This record gives sequence, C-alpha cells and structure tokens, in this order.
Amino acid sequence: MDKQRARCGSEQTGRRHRKRSYYLFLSITVLLCIGSVRSVYAAASDGPAAVVQQTADAVVAVLANKSLASDQKRAQIEQIVYAHFDFTTLSKLVLARHWKELSPEQQHDFVEEFKRHLSVTYGRNVETYNNEHAVITGDREESNGDWTVKTKIIRPSAADVLVDYRLRKQDGGWQVIDVIIEGVSLVANFRSQFQEILTSSNADHLIKLLREKNAKGEPLKS
Amino acid sequence: MTIMRRSRAQLLAFVFALLGLACAPAGAADGDQADADPIEGFNRGMFWFNDHVDTYVLVPVATVWDKVMPNRVQRSIGNFFDNLRFPIVTINNLLQAKFKSAGSDVGRFLVNTTVGVAGFFDPASDWGLEKHNEDFGQTLGYWGVPPGPYLVLPILGPSDVRDGAGLVPDGFMAVYPWFVGFVYTISARAVDVVNTRSMYLKQVEEAKAASIDYYSAVRNAYIQRRKSLVNDGVIPKEESEDLYNVNVDKEIVE
Repeated sequence: MDKQRARCGSEQTGRRHRKRSYYLFLSITVLLCIGSVRSVYAAASDGPAAVVQQTADAVVAVLANKSLASDQKRAQIEQIVYAHFDFTTLSKLVLARHWKELSPEQQHDFVEEFKRHLSVTYGRNVETYNNEHAVITGDREESNGDWTVKTKIIRPSAADVLVDYRLRKQDGGWQVIDVIIEGVSLVANFRSQFQEILTSSNADHLIKLLREKNAKGEPLKS
Repeated sequence: MTIMRRSRAQLLAFVFALLGLACAPAGAADGDQADADPIEGFNRGMFWFNDHVDTYVLVPVATVWDKVMPNRVQRSIGNFFDNLRFPIVTINNLLQAKFKSAGSDVGRFLVNTTVGVAGFFDPASDWGLEKHNEDFGQTLGYWGVPPGPYLVLPILGPSDVRDGAGLVPDGFMAVYPWFVGFVYTISARAVDVVNTRSMYLKQVEEAKAASIDYYSAVRNAYIQRRKSLVNDGVIPKEESEDLYNVNVDKEIVE
C-alpha cells in the first residue's frame, strides 16, 4: 500500500496529494472489508445461511428450467427439499406432547403422511412459477443453538414476501425444522390444528384424515 | 358527517359481535397449546357466513377482475390504496413513539404522491423508505393491551376484541373520507377489497388445501401474525422455547 501511495505521490503534491491518498486508503480499506466478509461466508459454506441459499438457488434453477415438465420439476424439487428438511423433527414439534402417545408405527405413518401432505400442497406452485427468487436478508443464532435465516421472496408481479427458515444442526448438517411466512410459523399453525383433532379424537383418525386429503389432492400424473 | 356514518356502521358491527360474545357459552378454552377461543361457537358461525360471502360473491367478482386487469395495474391500484393509508400508519407510529418510522412514512407519502403519480407507483420503496404496517390495534398491543378473545367480525373477518375496537379510531384517522362523499368512500373501499382479493386468489385456495382444519388454521395464523406485527417480528423467548423443544420426547423415540 505504501508503494501505491508513493507512486501516487510522485504525480501529485500538497493537499491534493493527501486527499487523493486518503481516498485511495479508504477504497482499499473498503475492498479489504468486503474481502473479509466474503471469506467469512466462504468459511461457513455449510453454515445455515449457505444451506438456505444453496437450497433456494437449486429450487429456482429447477423451476426456471423450461425443458422440464411439471412432474419432473416436482420430483427434482422434492429431492432437493427432502435433503434439507428434517421432517421427523418437524413432526415431533408439530405433535408436541402428543408425539409420545403414538406407537412407533403411528409415528412413522404420521411423518410420511405429513411430508406427503406438504409436498402435495406446495408442489402445485410449480405450475405458477413466475420468476420469483429469494434473497437472504439476515441470520441470527437462537437461544437453543438453532439458527434463523431471514429471506425475502422477490415477486415481479406482486408484493415481496418475508420468509424465515429455522435450522437445527443434525447429523447430516444444518436442516430446516420450521418455515415462518410473514410471522406465521408452519409448525405452530399445524400444531394448533392437530391439537384440536387429537384432543377430540385420536392419532389414527388424524393419520386417516391426512391420508384421505393426500389421496384427493395428489397432483395428476400426466 | 360521512365519517360519523362510517364509524357508526363499524361500531354497530362491533357491538353486534360483542353481543355474540356475551351470549356464547363460557369456558370453551382448552388451555395448553390450543389457541384460546372462548366464543368459538359464535366465531365458527360467523366464519362460515364470511366464507360463503367470500366464495359466492367476492371470489367471482375478484376472478373477473383478475382476468381483466394486468398484474401491473392490480399492483398499482394496491399501491394507491396503501398510499391513502398514510395517515393511519403515520399516526400509529407516532402513538408508539416510533418517530423515525413516522418520519419515513411522511417521506414515503410525499415521494409516492408526487413522483409516484398520486400513489399509483412506489418509488419510495426503491429509495429505501420502506413500507410499514401499523394500525391502532397494534398501538394498543405495543403499550401492553392484551388482544382479548379471538373474534370473527361479520364481513371484516378474523380479529380480536382489541383489534376490532382499533378499527374505530383507525376509521377516524383515515382522513380522506372526511373530504369525499359517503358514496365515494364506500366505492373506493369496494374497489380496494376486490382488488386486494384478486391478488390473493391462489394463496387462499392453497391455504384451504394445506389446512386440515381451516377454521383453526386461520385463527392461529391471525393470532401469530398480529403478535408478530405488534412485536415487529420478534417471537417472545418463552414461546419459542416451547415451540422448538423436542427433548421431552427423546427417551421415548430413540
């Protein structure tokens, strides 16, 4: 840096020189800062924010790929999402204290049907993709070690949507355990719905309800 | 004059709802994790009524509107009505002592009314003056007033006692009804409602498909959304600890 300043100094003199080198110093500092921020992100390439960014990028790439049919897109997105969402933890959180009242078979069935339900419902969006993309707006560590990654879905034809992802460190790395859309947590929302059904009825009935709904809403295979 | 009539209609709706509240059987709340809903019987009835008005009146109109209007126009009309809400948002920010936000709201209004051609465009957002969502229900919540029982209002939809009451002062703060006739106010409101609904046709359909119990899904979403707005996006720590704790079940599962 001193060399650069010296080279600068040979061309300029007096106040102008000082001013010029000050700007040079400033811009180098800024560049250095940007560089260090970059390297922080690079160091945490498997951190929660990176996981969300990579997942979002992968999903958008599939959605924007015009050579794929809807069914193919849905299958590929399912694969990407299944790899980064922890549906077992999600199910435990959704059923809360009722989870331990279920037999291992019921637990297994519930996880599968709930996963299927989310996939069937949100899989429909594949047809209506309209150049939306996600940008990460921030992240923070929660008191129990989870991380929240805040994103904004930019929609060219409508207002932006704020979506937060809550991730937990599991054996396979950081996994999504909740999605919070405009302040509404998916886990809390399903918990309140299932709570009603489980207090007035039982787990078999809930699994049956999910199964029926999934059969009805199954996207048509073409 | 017009504002009086307008708010009287809202007040009537509110009193009517409270009347239902008084008649409802008490003690239906489940405690634990279910959302408290002491007047669930009344609310479910009103929800059923609103859902039918929505399905058979509002959605058909909004569907035609959505077909006729290009997305850009729908968005611009939405911007226009957002800009009209400027006094409500600004006054409520002031009432919550959020002076910086209030200042930015004034800036937004000035920019969008002039450069944004009477509010049809939103250049202010591009210039870093972000949009705020504030109303009197949130102001009350900010100063510690609890929401009270969940309350489904006729036509107006999901609310609670606090937010329902907040609609009355917000009606006074809207300002523009003071200057235009009653017919214009009602027409503007109708256009606003149809236009807004037309932008959420798919979302509501999806929410219905995604929910196992639509009534409690909407109730929970309303309660969560309002809490998040009052706290400006921060979930209270105790709640989040309860929501994300699986430890209780660990020995049974593994």
